[in-house]
Amino acid sequence: MNEYDNPWLHRLKWTYLLLVVLTLMIPVLYVMYISFNANGFGANDYVFTLEWYGLILSDEILIGALRWTLTLAVVVTLIAVPMALLAAKYYKTADKKLFVVFLLLAPLFVPPDILGSALLVSFKNLNAVFIWLGDGLGTSLFDSWFRLSFMTAAIGLIIYTLPYSFVVILITMGRYRKEQTEAARACGANGWRAFWDIEFPQIRAGVFSACAFTVILVFNEYTRTSLLKGGFDTFTTVLISQMLNTGMSPQSYAMSALISFVAIAVIGSIILITLIRAETLARIARGKPEPVTP
Amino acid sequence: MNEQTAAAVEVRNLSKSYGNFVALKNVNVTIAAGEYFVLLGPSGGGKTTLLRTIGGFQKPTSGEILLHGKSVGHLPPDKRPTTMVFQAYALFPHMNVMQNVGYGLKVAGLPKAQIAEKVDHALQQVGLTQFENRKPHELSGGQQQRVQLARAIVLDRDILLLDEPLAALDAQLRKDMCLELKHLQEKVGITFIHVTHNQEEAMTVADRIALIASGDLVEVGRARDIYRAPEKSFTAGFVGENNILKGEALEVTGTTATVDVAGSKLRIDTRGLSVEKGQALTLSIRSECVGLEQVNGDAPASDGMSIVGAYNESVYLGLTTSHLVRLPDGTEMVSRIIADTEAALPPAGAAVRLHWKPDDIRLHVQ
Repeated sequence: MNEYDNPWLHRLKWTYLLLVVLTLMIPVLYVMYISFNANGFGANDYVFTLEWYGLILSDEILIGALRWTLTLAVVVTLIAVPMALLAAKYYKTADKKLFVVFLLLAPLFVPPDILGSALLVSFKNLNAVFIWLGDGLGTSLFDSWFRLSFMTAAIGLIIYTLPYSFVVILITMGRYRKEQTEAARACGANGWRAFWDIEFPQIRAGVFSACAFTVILVFNEYTRTSLLKGGFDTFTTVLISQMLNTGMSPQSYAMSALISFVAIAVIGSIILITLIRAETLARIARGKPEPVTP
Repeated sequence: MNEQTAAAVEVRNLSKSYGNFVALKNVNVTIAAGEYFVLLGPSGGGKTTLLRTIGGFQKPTSGEILLHGKSVGHLPPDKRPTTMVFQAYALFPHMNVMQNVGYGLKVAGLPKAQIAEKVDHALQQVGLTQFENRKPHELSGGQQQRVQLARAIVLDRDILLLDEPLAALDAQLRKDMCLELKHLQEKVGITFIHVTHNQEEAMTVADRIALIASGDLVEVGRARDIYRAPEKSFTAGFVGENNILKGEALEVTGTTATVDVAGSKLRIDTRGLSVEKGQALTLSIRSECVGLEQVNGDAPASDGMSIVGAYNESVYLGLTTSHLVRLPDGTEMVSRIIADTEAALPPAGAAVRLHWKPDDIRLHVQ
């Protein structure tokens, strides 16, 4: 706080910040709360239980959806993040940056249902073309290439997540000086070695953040996934389908709460470790004398 | 420099263009092994482009580069017998000093014990043995540049390229580091090619200097020759504080030309240059070679080694004082004198005579 600031204004800012956090977190906290209720959602009586958590593993639909979503998240992350990294590296050296950034960010500005429908039509047409090609060649080898499947959902999600990864990586890359790559090359490192030894450690935080962001986006996504595969496969589509058709089961609340717990714990740990590391480094630096000129 | 020494670097007919912009025009230069060679010139003149092309960071548009007699135009930086020190920001921030200096050796696959030994030796050479565990941000600017130097010399390469290595340092530190660089080069005995726009820095370290401007290699020579006897008028204008005078040849007798400058007839050695009567000429004379005395009347001097003008003002510079004199044609001449007296100066507008020795003034035909 600035010494000239009004202390009440300072407190007001903190109160505002807490209110924002609470507004964001209340729905999540509420789901956590009811996941421990033996009587389920909407019941008048609240009886604490861990039963629903125990039953998660026996809910095959939920576990299947979770497995499907995790696989999708891993595949999309493994493809989208390296693509975004390459794109960001190209962007840094490109002459016509505006054109490149427009192309890469374009999917962000297309509404999800329009992008999903466009891809759906494209895949259906491609599928028809491939079947026709296979028929012409007398083989059924091409019949299932673009049938709505894991692959079509993955392609849709790669298109969706790549711009986000690109932006996140680009932000951390902004601080990187190309002189360091040139210095590494002057020391005898080839292009890959210079990237891996010198550039990657400095943009690692951005790459890992892009990975985390991609996983979260895949878990959250409904429209594109349901259009490109169907409404009963990923965790989100299963939850929404359940809610629309039969209402959410207590296990679903427990699973949602569990995922929220894990996400909060992971992100909280990262923040905590970062803060502790920064403090440790600052303490070490304070212990050393000031640089002597020259 | 030993004239018989084999060339470490040969640049032949080198040109480099970026679209319509020509950064280097048909440059030819030879640098001997073990020489401290400086590329000097104004910003944007092409000296860094030449250095980076030698280092393999830029491809020439045409021409050839030979390092120790072998053409290297097709080789990337890591395959050339060169290494480089950059202006700034080139230390690896996530590595400490020891790791920075040992990086090239690690890439080369040397055993850890050997790396540690070589790094220790390199740090001793640059006087940084106490700093091996520090990160770059915990070092001063001068120390960071020393780490870069250690990182380069530890590789035992034959040619060290330095791209304005002292530009980010303050004036005093730059002076100190200049001498250290010179001593280091003498100690390690490899070829140093150093880019700078600072002539004092160039004079301090260079065996030879190449002046580069607008993509052209203007002049190459020993530091003393470049300063005292510039061949080209551009060199005279860029190096030192030269008075550049425009005139017209009135008469040529043997090796002496009489040149009309602002109404005065100056006699000058043609240095074997072809001069014809009526030809427009440029003369240069260093300001510290110009003496000043007050005269009565403003009649043109007739000895051929002086010129009369109106005293304008003086600028006290500590060690020297510059006296500014306006010639009848409006040209301003400077006489720089080592004097720190409070003696009375000529009043503004007073007639003064500027004079010099015959060998101090030089003729340029371009």
